[in-house]
Amino acid sequence: MRAFQDTATHAASELHVLARRSELGVARKYAEDVAAAFGLDSDGRYEFVYAVNEAVTNAIRHGASDEEDMIHMSIAADAERLTFCVRDRGTFVMPEVDADESSPGGRGLALMASLVDEVDLHIDPGGTTVRLTKLRAASPSVLETAQAQAG
Amino acid sequence: MRTFYIGDDVQLEHMGPDVAILVVGGEVDFEVSPQLKARLMRAIKAGNRRLILDLTDVTFIDSTAIGVLAGTVEKLDELGGGSLSVVSNHEKVVQIFEITGLDNMVTIHASRDEALAAATVTR
Repeated sequence: MRAFQDTATHAASELHVLARRSELGVARKYAEDVAAAFGLDSDGRYEFVYAVNEAVTNAIRHGASDEEDMIHMSIAADAERLTFCVRDRGTFVMPEVDADESSPGGRGLALMASLVDEVDLHIDPGGTTVRLTKLRAASPSVLETAQAQAG
Repeated sequence: MRTFYIGDDVQLEHMGPDVAILVVGGEVDFEVSPQLKARLMRAIKAGNRRLILDLTDVTFIDSTAIGVLAGTVEKLDELGGGSLSVVSNHEKVVQIFEITGLDNMVTIHASRDEALAAATVTR
């Protein structure tokens, strides 16, 4: 896997933002741009951006001690896989044990896991890294499949 | 990206005193979900028990906002009952409601007229 910037898409391979709610739109725009440059279709882009938003939201809520902390995002890609990394300085908190806006139900993590092909969680003393991978040759849209099952 | 907004509460005299319509648009995420929660709680505190949340112009709604909607239903239950109806015909937004199971807690309508008709029937 190589840095996304090397794939002639001209998308920046890293983005660093303050751990503030107001930066979520910036993160989504970044995810949308890299997903489009990678070539995901509209369903794939929506799912990818949604999962990224959930990961960054979790980083802002639990991975920062204050709004001056930083959230680090980076991307990597090869012919088949697009991986988005979100790193913070905190310890990942399982959404199931939350007690405020994202509860009940731990929807954030469940959504993340259902909308991309792989979720990798790495916790070390320096922080938490969440890696979200979407495959180019996609399986049918997760959202479409879920809707079909619900219907 | 569409900018988030919340309109003024709409009270329809002919619908009775406990029906309120709240119109929201744009992207509803962790930044703005506290505003959504505050407005829904304000509507309940004012005595409204049949809430219609018009999300026709919402293109994105995250898990924290889904949690706010679920919490609103629970609050209405605590107060003895009521209903939260959601208006959306945005394919992805409706799919997110289905994945999260929110569609089991609220009634989703494709139009505001449909939601109002249902509120009239259940009055």
